[in-house]
Amino acid sequence: MKRILSSVLVGVLSLGLLAGCGGSQSASVGIKSDDPVIKKIQARGVLNAGVKVDVPKFGFRDIKTEKIDGFEVDLVRALAKEILGKNDDKAIHLEGVTSKTRGALLDDGSIDIVAATFTINDQRKTQWNFSDPYYVDNITFLVRKDSGFKSMKDLNGKKIGVSQTTTTRKAIETEALKQNIAVDFLELPGFPEVKAALDAKRVDAFSVDGSILLGYLDNNTMLLPDKFGPQEYGIATNLHNTALAKVVNDVINRMLKNGEMDTLLKKWGLK
Amino acid sequence: MNLFAGQQWQALFEARALFAKGLGQTVVTSALALLLSLVIGAVIGALGTAPWRIARAVNRTYVDLVQNLPLVTLVAILFFGLPHLGVNVPVFGIGVLCLGVYHGAYIAEVIRAGIQSIHRGQLEAAFSQGFTYVKAMRHIILPQAFQVILPPLTNQAVSLIKNSAVLNMIGAGEMMNVADSWAGQNSYYGPTYLLIWALFFALCFPLAQWARRLEQRAIRARGQEVQAR
Repeated sequence: MKRILSSVLVGVLSLGLLAGCGGSQSASVGIKSDDPVIKKIQARGVLNAGVKVDVPKFGFRDIKTEKIDGFEVDLVRALAKEILGKNDDKAIHLEGVTSKTRGALLDDGSIDIVAATFTINDQRKTQWNFSDPYYVDNITFLVRKDSGFKSMKDLNGKKIGVSQTTTTRKAIETEALKQNIAVDFLELPGFPEVKAALDAKRVDAFSVDGSILLGYLDNNTMLLPDKFGPQEYGIATNLHNTALAKVVNDVINRMLKNGEMDTLLKKWGLK
Repeated sequence: MNLFAGQQWQALFEARALFAKGLGQTVVTSALALLLSLVIGAVIGALGTAPWRIARAVNRTYVDLVQNLPLVTLVAILFFGLPHLGVNVPVFGIGVLCLGVYHGAYIAEVIRAGIQSIHRGQLEAAFSQGFTYVKAMRHIILPQAFQVILPPLTNQAVSLIKNSAVLNMIGAGEMMNVADSWAGQNSYYGPTYLLIWALFFALCFPLAQWARRLEQRAIRARGQEVQAR
């Protein structure tokens, strides 16, 4: 039953993935491990990773070249180097994910890791393994310039568009309480829908992590200065793959300590 | 991760007020949309059987236009498009309007076909007795057509309820929207979607059964009529 349902939930997506990963290569000089999951990845010769394709600087697909690149893609490369001993892009298979699909794709094994602006929280920790945070982002608001909003206070009594499957709504509710204002919500399936709703004046503000909002900033919109509800991004793995989770966490911590993370953050203009 | 772990059901149970609200929203939206679609269907369907060419053209245009557009596009155009024209209908209104307009086209066809299934002789006999077209419709044709129309009409109601799930895309707060938002927050997809199945089934199955019974009754009634001829 479990298998049937999960394949129904993500069947289409995994089909797309199957088509994507052909030609397996022989295991090379990656990390030594007896763990079946790590061995499977090594036998495959490719690390399957879920990344964002619509978040500038983190995971973004170039419209012209169709290539996905960003800070989080570099993290995937670093992990592939550790696990597979290879540093070329043939060692990684990038799967574009959304906040809605990333968890399910991990659950059914379509992807090995998720590096996709995935906020760590206690509830999610019961469902997936998370690495220690590699980046902290804050929630903010994207509003239309003609609306005249200057700060979150101006959003009192207004409607805020958020995407389903994000931690945004809860963070805003907490912050609104603090600021003693009341806001209304419209929950839409994805970020593009929320942006369209903002353009259509269906909502007064579009709210999510600042990094994600940057991907939707245009001539008619602007970001409010408010920053709250720090969102710690971690790399997620399937809850059962504890050995893989440890490798991932070790790499992240090493990069945090030896300055590699700083270098990457600077490279992408995030620091 | 176990899709159906106990604590997920527990969490679902604790969120029951949320789902009850979603269920209520689905029922109210569907009921109002059904009402609208019946009005549209009756008017447009009647136009399709009218003796005037322009009336029939209006019927064909409406039915062809709506039946050949996916409901999703209708919802998207009204939700995202109308505000750009300065018209701001609330989400709830968009939902009722879209489902009503969409199913109105199908119900128009059901009503047109129902009226046309009544033998021409009935209308001619009414005319010979001095009935006008409208009066003949009202007293002779429609009461008979009603029996034919009711079963497919009920099936349209079932369709309409199921299609209300499309309104998730505009955050209408109905069952599907509640389910998607809630399961999205905590990834408890297994229990959530099973519950939604059960709720939709509980709404639709009795209606579908009723439609089947009406249909059998109509077939029996028609059978006797044929024998009587």
